[in-house]
Amino acid sequence: MKINKLDTGLRRCNGLDRRFLGMNWSRQHPGWMMFGAMVGLLLFLWGMAIPLSLAPAPIGPVAHLFAEGARATVMLTLIAGSIGVVLGVLAGLGKLSSFLPLRWLCDFYVWLMRGTPLLLQILFVWLTLPQILPDSIQVSDFACAAIALALNVGAYNTECVRAGILAVPQGQVEAARALGLSPFQTFMDVVLPQSMRVALPALANNMASLVKDSSLAYAISVVELTMVGYRVQAESYQPIPVFLTIAAIYLILTTAFTTLTAALENQLDVGRKRQE
Amino acid sequence: MNTQASHRPIIEARNVGKRFGKFQALNDVTATFYEGQVTAIIGPSGSGKSTFLRTLNRLEKHDSGSIVVDGITLDDDLRHLDAIRREVGMVFQSFNLFSHLTILKNVSLAPMRVRKMSRAAAEARALTLLERVGLKDQAHKYPVQLSGGQQQRVAIARALAMDPKVLLFDEPTSALDPEMVNEVLAVMRELAHTGITMLVVTHEMGFAREVADRLIFFDLGVILEDTTPANFFLNPNHDRAKAFLSQVKHGY
Repeated sequence: MKINKLDTGLRRCNGLDRRFLGMNWSRQHPGWMMFGAMVGLLLFLWGMAIPLSLAPAPIGPVAHLFAEGARATVMLTLIAGSIGVVLGVLAGLGKLSSFLPLRWLCDFYVWLMRGTPLLLQILFVWLTLPQILPDSIQVSDFACAAIALALNVGAYNTECVRAGILAVPQGQVEAARALGLSPFQTFMDVVLPQSMRVALPALANNMASLVKDSSLAYAISVVELTMVGYRVQAESYQPIPVFLTIAAIYLILTTAFTTLTAALENQLDVGRKRQE
Repeated sequence: MNTQASHRPIIEARNVGKRFGKFQALNDVTATFYEGQVTAIIGPSGSGKSTFLRTLNRLEKHDSGSIVVDGITLDDDLRHLDAIRREVGMVFQSFNLFSHLTILKNVSLAPMRVRKMSRAAAEARALTLLERVGLKDQAHKYPVQLSGGQQQRVAIARALAMDPKVLLFDEPTSALDPEMVNEVLAVMRELAHTGITMLVVTHEMGFAREVADRLIFFDLGVILEDTTPANFFLNPNHDRAKAFLSQVKHGY
């Protein structure tokens, strides 16, 4: 019965390419959840200043600062997150390479990034980049924070990608190779799409953590959400309402991201359960 | 090579050896398989029969001896390997259908990627093959939505899509519920009559007896008997084969 229902769902799913996400998109409920979370996040970011400006004294007059801080936090998350995913896929592949020096390099990268504090990494990038780079190249504080965060989350993503690739059953590779597919075709057509089923939820999870980790950028004077809160309370001497507001904004942001993650996980998990 | 069409050797294995660590899985195995022949390979677990099958398309690399498939030597040369894998299809015990692809895509993927067929042509052909195994109406489902027997029939269609000269079956019915075994055997039986060369590692003695032209009995990494099924079942030469038969006999 359930299978019949699924099947009609698949038939309804239009478009020629049902290759991978098609199966999941056909289960429309999580799809709408993801879409809703994205739209909600954007509406919240751009419209936040309006309701906040109605709030009493320490918050209302500087509502636009809160909105700017939240936007900076989200931008930092999205930029560092995107670069981090690319780094994660590259280093994840590198860790599984048969070329030993490359494997060492990727191992070293993950070991270094996971074994040192993020705050130290941010300070390190911020303080050393201007010394290393020629004077003509100016790197903003924001860019320094984004670089450090990307490197950090990339290391965590590496392990997710690696685990995802290792989770693909060897039989799938054997079947592809036995059919005459080259190693590269086998990777692109079979291993990568299947590994993403395992890796994507974990990658999305890292992204959600990044929302909070981005607050460390305040240490190098990036004006993001935490920095806004710190400044506003320093001027108003009212830490309680200010920090409660900041906490609420973070909660809304992380909730949006974890809703995305959960929806994604839901979709992909269904595919795996049915695989049993 | 022999000029007689029906006796043209398609796979020639000479003194093939394979070890896993200390375990000698194959010991000096020599066998020639001819075009159109259906060979059943039987033997106790761990006797090397699956390993032997898997060396024939290099899913396992043999350590010694030589394997020639359709005139191409199986060695480290990737072009040789690609050429051989195009001619040799394989059906696995656990089906190994691509779980993220529909049935139709499972069957049409390799012709599109390896034979560079257009999507339309590959899918049309895939549908023809799926019809042949009786699963055309399941083309847009995913492997998990099918029963084991259906999945294995799809796996056969997928292997056939590459137009192989040889089909290797590695215990194709061992992972199936008893009531699904027959639907797969029926497809294999039908295939055997089309003249394709088949090597079937199996525990289905009935199938071996009824369909195979030739029967090979493996034990401890060597070919113990290489004869016709009728001969083997009536009077096996070796005690090991007799013991094996008495163990499995009540099963068919």
